[in-house]
Amino acid sequence: MKKNIRRRSSAVIATTVAAITLAACGSGASSSSSSSTGTTKVKGGIATFAEGPGAKPNYIFPLTPPTNFSTANLSLFQTLMYRPLYWYGNGSKAEINYAYSVAKPPVFSNNNQTVTVTLNSNYKWSNGESVDAQDVIFWMNLVKANKTNWAAYVPGAFPDNIVSYKASGKYTVVFQLDKSYNPTWFTYNELSQITPLPLAWDKTSLTAPSPTASTPVSSLPDQTTSGAKAVYNFLNTQAGQLSTYATSPIWSIVDGPWKLKSFTTQGKAVFVPNPAYGGPVKASLSEFIELPFTASSSEYNVLRAKGITYGYIPFSDLAQKATLAQEGYTLQPWNLFGFNYWVENFNNPTVGPIFKQLYFRQAFQHLIDQQQWIQSFLHGLGVPTYSPVPTAISNPFADSVSKTGMYPFSVTAAKSLLTSHGWKVVANGTTVCAKPGTAANECGAGIAANTPLTFNLQYASGLTFVSQEMQALKSTAASAGITINLSQAPFDQVIANAAACPPGPNCTWQMENWAGGWVYAPDYAPTGGEIFSSTAGSNFGSYNDPKTNQLITQTHTATTSQFNSAFNAYQDYMVQQLPVIYQPNPPFQLSEIQSNLKGVTQNPYANLTPETWYFVK
Amino acid sequence: MTRAEDQLTPFEDEIVSPTGPEGGEARESESALQLILRTFLENKLAILGLGLVVAMAIFCFIGPLLYHTNQVATTYQINLPPGKGHPLGTDENGRDVLGRLMVGGQSSLEIGIAVAIIATVFGVLWGAIAGYIGGKLDSVMMRIVDVFLSIPSLFLLIFLAAAFTPNMTILILILSFISWLSPSRLVRGEALSLRVREYVKAVKIMGGGPTRIVVRHIIPNTIGTIAVNATFQIADAILVLATLSYLGLGLPPPAASWGEMLSNGVNYIYDGYWWLIYPAGFAIIITVIAFNFIGDALRDSLEVRLQKR
Repeated sequence: MKKNIRRRSSAVIATTVAAITLAACGSGASSSSSSSTGTTKVKGGIATFAEGPGAKPNYIFPLTPPTNFSTANLSLFQTLMYRPLYWYGNGSKAEINYAYSVAKPPVFSNNNQTVTVTLNSNYKWSNGESVDAQDVIFWMNLVKANKTNWAAYVPGAFPDNIVSYKASGKYTVVFQLDKSYNPTWFTYNELSQITPLPLAWDKTSLTAPSPTASTPVSSLPDQTTSGAKAVYNFLNTQAGQLSTYATSPIWSIVDGPWKLKSFTTQGKAVFVPNPAYGGPVKASLSEFIELPFTASSSEYNVLRAKGITYGYIPFSDLAQKATLAQEGYTLQPWNLFGFNYWVENFNNPTVGPIFKQLYFRQAFQHLIDQQQWIQSFLHGLGVPTYSPVPTAISNPFADSVSKTGMYPFSVTAAKSLLTSHGWKVVANGTTVCAKPGTAANECGAGIAANTPLTFNLQYASGLTFVSQEMQALKSTAASAGITINLSQAPFDQVIANAAACPPGPNCTWQMENWAGGWVYAPDYAPTGGEIFSSTAGSNFGSYNDPKTNQLITQTHTATTSQFNSAFNAYQDYMVQQLPVIYQPNPPFQLSEIQSNLKGVTQNPYANLTPETWYFVK
Repeated sequence: MTRAEDQLTPFEDEIVSPTGPEGGEARESESALQLILRTFLENKLAILGLGLVVAMAIFCFIGPLLYHTNQVATTYQINLPPGKGHPLGTDENGRDVLGRLMVGGQSSLEIGIAVAIIATVFGVLWGAIAGYIGGKLDSVMMRIVDVFLSIPSLFLLIFLAAAFTPNMTILILILSFISWLSPSRLVRGEALSLRVREYVKAVKIMGGGPTRIVVRHIIPNTIGTIAVNATFQIADAILVLATLSYLGLGLPPPAASWGEMLSNGVNYIYDGYWWLIYPAGFAIIITVIAFNFIGDALRDSLEVRLQKR
């Protein structure tokens, strides 16, 4: 559910002379010696973790608005302190992890229209209160009353599809659904969006008394819509005061394995273990520190100086991995459960009619030389993308079609598709529509005679491999008679431009590539409703296909026995239809981890679990 | 300003006698232009600078006619070291670095010179008008200059380059926008002193209007300042373009500039791919220094007190 920003390679130059001087320094061999590690576990120790360049945490409240809905805030920050109802990611596997979950497996009944969730009784808030059913009800009340402020809200889905919810016991909540839903989908994509909140937060000012388990439920402000809105406004305001995160009486109440010791507005977060944590693994480290960086080059410089326990190496510096190995670091690519693509704007008045032609999308996909890009630009560290279903991580969702695709790299095939649909292809020139019309051998609806195959493609700056890929595409596309005008812009600008817009003269963007694709969290089952449904808020290119809508809906409502066939029908159709342009999916980051730090698992949804880390000597 | 040669001839005939005058031989008088040229050519650094600029122009504009490379297509032979077929290796897109240096130099020089011309023309007119008219108009015009000068130029550049999709024309306008401020202040200072000179007063008495005074008398008498500043503007524009390219706000790919080459090369700074950094870096340094040599020499030549007689 999150647009993903990859670890980015960018830097700032001081002077030309400085660069040349550094080049001379860089060409020398490292003289550092390797460090050896033992196997004896050490209690305590401080581990530092490098945040992404410019991607610092800046929102602590789990009910996060769209402007703060990022991996940096959710997976790498909030979940350390406030545990969601269910934990996703079992080691490096993309699956639900009940051992790490606050609740037991949900029980579906009444033809899958009733869901009963029972919380484990061993979880406590740091103020001594139990994490119980009322905390789930509190979350539900806030989400219901403030759903338009919530980044994960999709009209018709959670919480709209929940008719009622009530606590049927201290640790049990019963949800009544508006119709039958597939249990897997509902667990992975709807229950996944619940984070229990402490009753002590159920107030509208700092000076108001904090409710406890003994406070009568009827007197809690979240019981009414207006009260829930007031509580949200209070908590949202508190979340905007970054300098108070570590000292706030609100945010210091946690149920996760960590609590904040200090926090700077620049993004440096120091965590210490929460002794009240009731989960399965207690923290071994004495401190866990997240360090902010403005550029990957600055992070890399600190990494080379052994100033980070758990950092990352930019792709462009991958040739230096041996040097880092000598410094005592282990390279571990971190793959996420997502896929990589860029969007075409189907509503653009000029090129939208071309994008709507399936044959054109097929021809264009034929020009993406994914295997070559992976080998040449990603040093072999990446996987090709053929569908919205991830393949970088082993999972039960991807079928053989998603793993092999239907449109291998072939300039000849691309030219043939264009020619057979009425285009006069001029390699390294301007291809124009020679046969306008809607017949099978004509250009298609809305495409006038002599319309050129010329497109604008903007991509995120700062990542060398993305620039290489896009320039390679321009080169290849030219040989098929397609002209691509490239431009670069910062990541934030690209995602701002890639917004769905109604058809019209103001809907001007054509293709946008923010280079990070999509990470399925908290829509952990990749059924695509968030990105390809006609009404989905993240359907950035305004792709609109009734059959796609139908197939997505079927994955939501299929019975357990029908789910696989419904899901395969959806993913195979997406492979064939190309609602977006698929591009190679590189790792989220190339992690460099000090060899004496053990217990590290790289969660496929980017959820950090430093409570499992420990040092050895 | 200068006497005509025919006015000098009878006098010269007198002093260049076969026996020579007492006290030594007198030198032949020169026109102002000759004096400027001679002073300029006596400056060895100026000759070096001029030679470097000419050589760089030949390299960038004539070179591609003799050394053919494809600077658009990606070849996947990326980051090859210098060797057969690629005297300066290949870059991260598999393009020949030597050829790219030539093409990149074209845009760097074209943008640098265009920015110098635009910024100088606009800045000189702005400063001359403000300085000559004076009063409230001068205050308003120079406060506008002060406002723009008070904004950090890098911030302004990043803002403008982010607001507009960069191409060569846009970049020239953006760089000109921050470059006209300096010549306007310099010329305004000169105009303040020139407007009270006798010949300006004489023009006024004879009915000359402000336009004539500014265009025919004020600006020509600041030509030394203008010419020197213009050469520095070229060098500055090349450097600022390099900075913008480094920030990803330069010419759109696959267009090349020296700054863009340097920017991309720095990504491999730890890998020892020197051919991605040294050629572009040295090209920038050499060109900037060459223009600075020329600027210094022009100042010496145009400034009466520094001329050798």
